[in-house]
Amino acid sequence: MGEVVLEGRGIKKWYGKLQVLKGIDIKIEKGKTKVIIGPSGSGKSTLLRILGLLEPPTEGNVLFKGRDVYAEKLDLNKIRAKIGFVFQEPSLFRHLTALDNVKLGLRHVLKLSEDEARRKALETLRIVHLEGWKDHYPAQLSGGQQQRVGIARALAMDPEIILFDEPTASLDIELTWEVIDTMRELAERGITMLVVTHEISFAKEVADEIIFMDDGMILEEGPPEKVLMNPKSERARVFLRRLLGV
Amino acid sequence: MEFLLQYSRFIIEGFITALTMTIIGVSGGAVLGITTALLDVYGGRVSKVLVGIYVEFFRGSPLIVQLLIFYFSIPAVTGLNWDAYTAGAVTLILNSGAYQKGYFKGAIEAVFKDQLMAAASIGLTFRQTLRYIVLPQALKIVIPAWTNELVSLGLSTSALIIIGVRELTSIAKTIAAQTFRPLEVYFTIAIIYFIWITIMLKIMDIVYRRVRIPGLEVSI
Ligand SMILES: Nc1ncnc2c1ncn2[C@@H]1O[C@H](COP(=O)(O)OP(=O)(O)OP(=O)(O)O)[C@@H](O)[C@H]1O
Ligand SMILES: [Mg+2]
Repeated sequence: MGEVVLEGRGIKKWYGKLQVLKGIDIKIEKGKTKVIIGPSGSGKSTLLRILGLLEPPTEGNVLFKGRDVYAEKLDLNKIRAKIGFVFQEPSLFRHLTALDNVKLGLRHVLKLSEDEARRKALETLRIVHLEGWKDHYPAQLSGGQQQRVGIARALAMDPEIILFDEPTASLDIELTWEVIDTMRELAERGITMLVVTHEISFAKEVADEIIFMDDGMILEEGPPEKVLMNPKSERARVFLRRLLGV
Repeated sequence: MEFLLQYSRFIIEGFITALTMTIIGVSGGAVLGITTALLDVYGGRVSKVLVGIYVEFFRGSPLIVQLLIFYFSIPAVTGLNWDAYTAGAVTLILNSGAYQKGYFKGAIEAVFKDQLMAAASIGLTFRQTLRYIVLPQALKIVIPAWTNELVSLGLSTSALIIIGVRELTSIAKTIAAQTFRPLEVYFTIAIIYFIWITIMLKIMDIVYRRVRIPGLEVSI
């Protein structure tokens, strides 16, 4: 087993009286791509926000490279900088161009010089095939392009892992593919990823492991063939049947 | 109308006083408005309540009454001795700040939550998020509302007459009394206010066009 980059242990989350996560154990190893699927409201986004340190769990532990983030009171901002996050809705900074969106963290979090930050940002925009769009503002980009700038913004920080929360959910089909292709390329580059998605071809071809979540719990996990083709639980079977249209 | 020319020096002085008071009031008010808006949006319970009391007082009473309080009542109680200009400037700042707090709060809240989450996700601290994300957007979004405040405060400087500040309206009153020609005098002064306001609107329009960013032209 490779080095574990990010781990959740016994994660539980309540919003008031509503329990959204009911004890989740999850590990993501270096260089691997893990995909989470599951019905709406099952707690996928909540789990991702907790693993991305964007909100604390009510109970349980989050470990980044083996260190317990909350128990050891580690500096959250420092670790967030090493965990990339791509959101469901394109969430670019509206007042900055594509280039400046990517550059901001490089300048003010990683403290690179203006020149270095610029070079790095351009290089990263090239990876997502948007170097020609560097001077455009978010409102001048399509949804798919915005998501790819968002990916570049996360990627440029040289994160240990990138978390994707249904990055194509708000896009139509063609735009979905350009984003999915970009993610596929990242996986090929060996970037560690945890991806919530319902793009089954991505899950099937790219994921090393698939997790099926329902009602705040993990009901299935394993290699794609096993989870997609041969799920144990009735709920996963029903969900997949609908998703695959079979 | 030629008789007015011999008073032009006073009229210009009055205008400069009105303009100066407007600039002091609106820029002091901007600092106060931004600060109280941030306290209201991100602060604790106590600061929210204090901001609320401050805003209610200055938006809920006439400017003239506020001027009288700051020029007469407060010195009487505290022994503080300030001239009409200082009392006037302080009152304008506090008054404008109360209105501007509302505009800035709206603008700050218009910077969507998703961007704050995105800022956190790349490791920006709260302060950096304010500095690099929230304020640059809020300051642009607020311009149309802020322009209204500039016009409104400019016209409101005529209330300073009540505490004896020699601004445009009070100069006009003196000239009218000396010449017995109130019709021409007040009409001329009204035109001067109008031209002044028109120029300020034009300038703000140019500023807005310059700093405008595609997708951010939300007016509130
Ligand atoms: N900040 C919050 N406050 C209160 N309830 C919340 C909050 N965030 C999520 N929830 C609730 O938690 C449950 C799980 O939400 P979550 O967004 O994690 O599900 P999801 O699996 O991502 O769903 P989807 O596929 O629709 O994105 C839902 O019932 C939701 O209403
Ligand atoms: Mg979700």
